[in-house]
Amino acid sequence: MKMIWAVIRPESAQRVIKSLDNAGIGGITRLHVTGHGKEMGITLGAVHYTEIPKEMLMIVVPDNDVAKTVMIIRTEAKTAIKNEPGEGTIGDGKIFVTYVEDSFAIRTAGKAGGT
Amino acid sequence: MKQVIAIIRDERVEATKEALEAAGIRGVTFLYVTGRGQQKGKVNSQEMGESLTRHLRMQLGAVSPDNEPDAGTRVALLPFQPDTEFAFGFLPKRMLIMVLNDEDVNLIVRTIVNVNQTGRHGDGRIFICPMIGAIRVRTGEQGDKALS
Repeated sequence: MKMIWAVIRPESAQRVIKSLDNAGIGGITRLHVTGHGKEMGITLGAVHYTEIPKEMLMIVVPDNDVAKTVMIIRTEAKTAIKNEPGEGTIGDGKIFVTYVEDSFAIRTAGKAGGT
Repeated sequence: MKQVIAIIRDERVEATKEALEAAGIRGVTFLYVTGRGQQKGKVNSQEMGESLTRHLRMQLGAVSPDNEPDAGTRVALLPFQPDTEFAFGFLPKRMLIMVLNDEDVNLIVRTIVNVNQTGRHGDGRIFICPMIGAIRVRTGEQGDKALS
């Protein structure tokens, strides 16, 4: 079982969630976070912003669904500049995958296969 | 060393805090999250009403430190818009993150389950993840010493 943390643009979240839905991945936890990447934020005019609002999705899936889930997030969270479709833009986000050793559903107090 | 991530109903947080303290666990991080499980957020009307109230309260809390926006302020609270989280079935939950010694994990999982189990959908999940290190910022202590 693996835990997937995806930091994505807030405006991409709905597309990602819809696609995950269609793929049968129902359990998602959402966090509103702020952060910056290696560009250290963004400068708009005279103002430099170091904290950019992002959406963090936490999804726990069985090992053999990891590739599918990551692919869906990558496809849906990638944004394109009009003239360069398919290239993606800075700030589209990152996906992290970590191990889950064990998982319990509180309702049944039993072992659970994922969220 | 293990990281325990629990997602629970937000009305159970106070009871959970007490139970964790009684179990001897002091270090807990609480996060406001929204989430859904296999039900995709489908709940009965009473539960939806309660969640909605809490959801509004959370959003009000977020826009104004006094929990009350000034008269005339327009706050984007419309949970019925088709594209909001609520329409996707995301309900307000709390996420608890704890880093524990291996031998405490079973006790804490049992404690959280006991306090939070209602038998209805939406009780939450507990995930146990490996954690390879911990450092106390104040003293620089590492490993198990940072947890005690």
